[in-house]
Amino acid sequence: MRVLITTLLLVQLAGCGGTDAIPTATGTTCASPDPMTFGYTAADTPGCTGTPDQCNFGKTFMDAYCINCHASEIPLSKRNGAPLYHDFDTLLGVMEVVGHIDEQAGFGPNAQNEFMPGDGTGGKCPSVAGGSLDSSCPAISADERTNLAQWLACEKDRPHSF
Amino acid sequence: MVCVLLIAERSGRADHAHVARDDRAGLAASLSLVAARFDTMLYGGDYEGVVPALRWTHDRFAVGATAPLYRIEENGLQVLGAGDATIDGQVTIVHDEMFAAGATLALSAPTGDHKFGLGMGHPMVMPAVWGAMVHDRHAVVAALGYSVGFADAAHHHDDMMWPLVDPMNASELTWSARGDLAVARAWRLGAQLAGGVPVDASGVTRVIAGARAVWISQRVQTGLELQAGLAGDPFTLRAVAQTTVAF
Repeated sequence: MRVLITTLLLVQLAGCGGTDAIPTATGTTCASPDPMTFGYTAADTPGCTGTPDQCNFGKTFMDAYCINCHASEIPLSKRNGAPLYHDFDTLLGVMEVVGHIDEQAGFGPNAQNEFMPGDGTGGKCPSVAGGSLDSSCPAISADERTNLAQWLACEKDRPHSF
Repeated sequence: MVCVLLIAERSGRADHAHVARDDRAGLAASLSLVAARFDTMLYGGDYEGVVPALRWTHDRFAVGATAPLYRIEENGLQVLGAGDATIDGQVTIVHDEMFAAGATLALSAPTGDHKFGLGMGHPMVMPAVWGAMVHDRHAVVAALGYSVGFADAAHHHDDMMWPLVDPMNASELTWSARGDLAVARAWRLGAQLAGGVPVDASGVTRVIAGARAVWISQRVQTGLELQAGLAGDPFTLRAVAQTTVAF
């Protein structure tokens, strides 16, 4: 019986893969008034005060790191685990789950989340939209993740036409 | 002696909550094989699980533990890992030749990775009361419980049930009603309805139905149950095969 119990415990421990980090809101807040430093695109962010790269930050980030799985045209079986209705190929799609993105990918005072992209798929990402996990996920700097959280914190309170 | 073999709503926890008192003391081990398809609002796919369990019974008391392992495919991603381990204790409070009633207390540990739908992400405490009645070849069992997450449950999956394997609300009332009929010396057929009602308004009401056949020999009981999710999308269809050996 001791052998059976030991075996069960070992099997249980062997199955504890993956990251232990819990998705946590970064606690990032947007300064008041909104400095308008980061935008989705310059066209979508009238009054943006940042550099062109900063004003196009949101779409650039999503296109580079997210939409090979998180896009509305990718069918369920090719999303590599990405939940349905978590589609970041439009600003509307991002805003619908803005809190989830912050909790899974943002850096801020309360958390440094690296589940997406990277840890959530064992460090592997598709090289093409809807493809298999055939390459290493691109490295995202701490600054980029911090900027993501800051952009989301401000963008969610901005007026939108959708 | 009253002894009712049941396969519970939650995979592999056949003995939890509702096995009426057996006068013999002893240890039993079971192995459940689970296979299911699910199609929720956000996720679609299937999973298979192996759920070993141990149970020790003495007089009116029993304790048990389970430690599941799953392979899940969710939206095209395959993951292999542990589910949430559980321990439970049971006491039979009243008992005669036809009727038994008691209470259980189950606890689950967040050993399953909740980000992949394998675990709740926080401990759960699940007290319940149950009653069982046996008459001639018939047995019926009903249970009512309350399940609630504690510790760090603040990040809980919005208004969804979770995990994808064995979904439930962060806090809910649970209920079940089961019936068995002995159709031959070693065979029983049964059916159950079970579910959960969220305590918070944002939760999801869950109802499942199941039908099963159980073969019983002296020390071995083997059952196969087919379950369907009727409400709340806990799964589309699930099969649970379980063998229990008493030592």
